[in-house]
Amino acid sequence: MHFINVILCRVTLLLCVVASPALHASDDPLQSPMWDYLRNVFLGDMPYQFDDRIVVSVPPFAEDPTQVPVTVDATGLSEKIEKIVVWADLNPIQHIYTYYPLKDVKPNVSLRIKVQQATPIRAAVLTKKGQWLVGTTYLDAAGGGCTTPSVANTSPYWESHLGEISAKKFQREAFDRYKFKVVHPMDTGLVDAIPEFYLQQLELRDAQGDALVKMDLSQPVSENPVFSFDVIQPSAQHHLWLRDNNGNEFEQPL
Amino acid sequence: MVFLILFAAKLSYSLEPQKIADDTWLLQGKLEDFTRENGGNIVNTAFIVTAEGVVVFDTGPSKRYGEAMREAISSVTDKPVIHVFNSHHHPDHFLGNQAFSDTKIWALPETGKLIAQHGNAFAENMYRLVGDWMRSTEVQLPTEPLDIAAVPLMAVGKHHFRFFKMVGHSGADLLMLDETTGVLFASDIVFYQRALTTPHTPSLRVWIENLEQLKNWQYNTLVPGHGPVDTTGLAVEQMINYLHWLDKTLTAAASQGLSMNEVMELPIDVRFSGISLTRSEFVRSVFHLYSRYEEASF
Repeated sequence: MHFINVILCRVTLLLCVVASPALHASDDPLQSPMWDYLRNVFLGDMPYQFDDRIVVSVPPFAEDPTQVPVTVDATGLSEKIEKIVVWADLNPIQHIYTYYPLKDVKPNVSLRIKVQQATPIRAAVLTKKGQWLVGTTYLDAAGGGCTTPSVANTSPYWESHLGEISAKKFQREAFDRYKFKVVHPMDTGLVDAIPEFYLQQLELRDAQGDALVKMDLSQPVSENPVFSFDVIQPSAQHHLWLRDNNGNEFEQPL
Repeated sequence: MVFLILFAAKLSYSLEPQKIADDTWLLQGKLEDFTRENGGNIVNTAFIVTAEGVVVFDTGPSKRYGEAMREAISSVTDKPVIHVFNSHHHPDHFLGNQAFSDTKIWALPETGKLIAQHGNAFAENMYRLVGDWMRSTEVQLPTEPLDIAAVPLMAVGKHHFRFFKMVGHSGADLLMLDETTGVLFASDIVFYQRALTTPHTPSLRVWIENLEQLKNWQYNTLVPGHGPVDTTGLAVEQMINYLHWLDKTLTAAASQGLSMNEVMELPIDVRFSGISLTRSEFVRSVFHLYSRYEEASF
């Protein structure tokens, strides 16, 4: 997947020229020039439909393009979910994360991302029956989030705190919510002389080591990311596991 | 040709000086956000005509505004402009400086540094937001660092100006009290009937402390950075009430584990429904501040 991302970021410019929307009509409600191409990358040739039950929330404008809150709420779906793929059409690295709700969780995920310019944000749900349902929204932004050096690059704080996890459980009405913050620079590799360095995998596990949630993360996830997940069996003991692209593993009981 | 003339005529700020005290004139901005229609004229600027010359407080959002301000000044007096003050480093308060390049432009030393650091990015953003109104606007740095410890008071003509530094709105906010007329130029420490903005506040609690302090000062007319002039004290009350509400709302939201997008949709207290732009500025404030509250809740 990350190899694909690198290629994507290199061919984006070319594609903007080639994949002109005038060639054929697209059913994308946002008429994005990248829809057909990215649909093919992430969904392949499988059938899909846009679905308002998948709610993608973003602010009306990206005040800070390095920390844009994105919430994907697929709790309105009655279908069982295999995975949710989230991406930003016009980011130099489009893929943001893929989320697998394995057991005892509500498919409602919040985190913050970096954006390089105004862009459609997509959340494509693959159901257990093999159908793709796509939630979509438009994020307005002035830009610059992916090519701004992380704060970590001007302060040595992260070196002695890398992978530190702060976590808290909040009681909500019919479920509990976990929020975690992980200290990590999440460097995109798009800033001159700063190689990519970011969290790639996340699992929320129970006492037996079985995962409730798995996530594949990409470079656009913000520095020192804050994740929030809703769990249905709040009394159980859970722990969080993460791994970055340098092979560092971080684990913390919650 | 006719179309071109009409179009050119449209991009005019038509600033009309409003006399608010002896020798003291206000150019009141609209209670709006930046748009291509208002050209960024959402800010209050003011000038005081003294026997020695004219003192200007803030220069507006663009070169064109600065020039319109100078015309407005000449419509009232033949005296030269001798001192200009920039209250803080936000673009609507200093991007008119080019029209005053022949005078001393004063600002707090921190404000000068912040303009040098962020001024160009702010100017670019203003071009994006208001377009052609910004034509030829460039950052003109303040020329005179105002050291309040050394110069707390300046006598110009028969006017005595006292200066104060606060930090609540932008990290370096200059307030100017004309002790001769009792007019307080409160800069963006005070917004009135227009929702306050928080992109560079050190913290809401610090801002509230600043306002509590300001309540004890001797003045009779307050010129807010945005919104109508106030002689009743209601402007400061409104600020303190809103900031307390915002602080409590964000604290409660963080303790309930709400996500940033959920917080942005929370209802706004009806006490503030008469203030313009409350919803959009509330959303922006959540963006600026919520991660700090979230952090504190871990």
